[in-house]
Amino acid sequence: MKYMIMTFGSAEAGLAAMGKEWMLEMIQFMNKLDEDLKKSGELVSGEGLADGSQAKTVRFENGISVATDGPFAESKESLVGYWIVDVENEDRAIAIASRIVDFVKVPIEVRRVMDAPPDF
Amino acid sequence: MLRELAPQVLGALVRRHGQFDACEDAVQEALLAASQQWRDKSFPEDPRSWLMTVASRRLVDEWRSEGARRRREETAARIEVPGGAAAADHDDTLALLYLCCHPSLSVASQLALTLRAVGGLSTAEIANAFLVPEATMAQRISRAKESIRSAGARFELPSAAEQAERLRVVLHALYLVFNEGYLTSSGPALNRTDLTAEAIRLTRMLHALLPAEGEVAGLLALMLLTEARRPARTLADGSLVPLDEQRRDLWDRAQISEGIALLTRTLGTTSVGPYQMQAAIAAVHDEAPTAAATDWPQILALYDVLERVSPGPVVTLNRAVALAMVHGPGAGLALLGSLDEDPRMSRNHRLEAVRGHLLELAGDQPAAREAYLRAARMSASIPEQRYLVLRAARLA
Repeated sequence: MKYMIMTFGSAEAGLAAMGKEWMLEMIQFMNKLDEDLKKSGELVSGEGLADGSQAKTVRFENGISVATDGPFAESKESLVGYWIVDVENEDRAIAIASRIVDFVKVPIEVRRVMDAPPDF
Repeated sequence: MLRELAPQVLGALVRRHGQFDACEDAVQEALLAASQQWRDKSFPEDPRSWLMTVASRRLVDEWRSEGARRRREETAARIEVPGGAAAADHDDTLALLYLCCHPSLSVASQLALTLRAVGGLSTAEIANAFLVPEATMAQRISRAKESIRSAGARFELPSAAEQAERLRVVLHALYLVFNEGYLTSSGPALNRTDLTAEAIRLTRMLHALLPAEGEVAGLLALMLLTEARRPARTLADGSLVPLDEQRRDLWDRAQISEGIALLTRTLGTTSVGPYQMQAAIAAVHDEAPTAAATDWPQILALYDVLERVSPGPVVTLNRAVALAMVHGPGAGLALLGSLDEDPRMSRNHRLEAVRGHLLELAGDQPAAREAYLRAARMSASIPEQRYLVLRAARLA
């Protein structure tokens, strides 16, 4: 079963809160994590996103769609990256997310990809 | 044709060289070479020998390289092959199936390795079928081989004492391959490798090897009787059609006849198992000319047997539907109530979907609507979620 593991925030906020040494360790950590997930045959895909400040939000206003600058969510809640993993069960997806949370100390969302077979 | 030879050639090679890992790679390369060359040129007179020769040559080439030689010394004889008289192809194929479905492997690895080593599918085809990148699937297969080595698994038939349990694991793996294919055969994943056909082919092969095993025959019958309904299960836009609304003239009569004949030959000859019972239930549905003509009392009786043979909350859930059709929705809903406290069902959308269905039958539209919407929230399948939401919307 596939899960999306999502991280929120921004590099800037991370740097401000944790410092440069931590940022360097974080890069190492993320590289190692990607490598481990590739080795285990679980990584389907993963991407980092541009900073939320660069986002555009398209809204429906006065009967027409309008693009405005900035993310839809608060920038501290904005999606900054994700992995899609194909794992044996939810516990394994949570274990991967826990490994990230133990390092970054901020919440991570784990959500099932709609890849289940229908029932009949 | 080509794929059918894969396990025989691999079995013979492993028997000769004792290196499952390297032999499996060599056979895979020989299959690839065959698929290119046999298309361009003529078909060889003896395809099996052709594959053996090409695969053996690949093995020798591999061993010639210095690095590989070292690796060979490290891995040699890790897969022990019992000596003695040469085993027949059918024993080799069986031994391969047991090896690929070794209990030390994760289920995902069992499926991948079985499809490659026994099914003869390429890594790209398997990756495509499971919607993961080829590199991910290649890694999964190579780790599965590592696990087999480190578990000290042997290329041989399990002992008589072990056989039943090991066969259960093999059947479960084949069942999951079928499900993966059957249930995702519609919607956005149209060009996927046909896992359903592959599962049927492998189960058919296993049935030919073990004709007296009732559960192997039962699983094959279940697959055929289920697959027969595939043309009616979905509309052109991928939306699901429930059993009672399917166009039965679209069902595949040949598959239904084959499944029923298989089941008739099998039932009563061995001890009853869950696959035989599920196949028997599928057969009753398939034999009904209309949904209204379904023999629900017989289905209920079969579920009673299934619950004795293989109890579990999913069986109880299905039995509740049969109970409702025989004794009214109230009886079915009461049985569903017994599952409310079952932690195995607490996040299972099917409980709520069935509850919605039975509440709808009972005429309680607002409660049915709520149940369908709860089920839709818990579903992890897009076509099913859409079906459930539309079902709820119909009751608004």
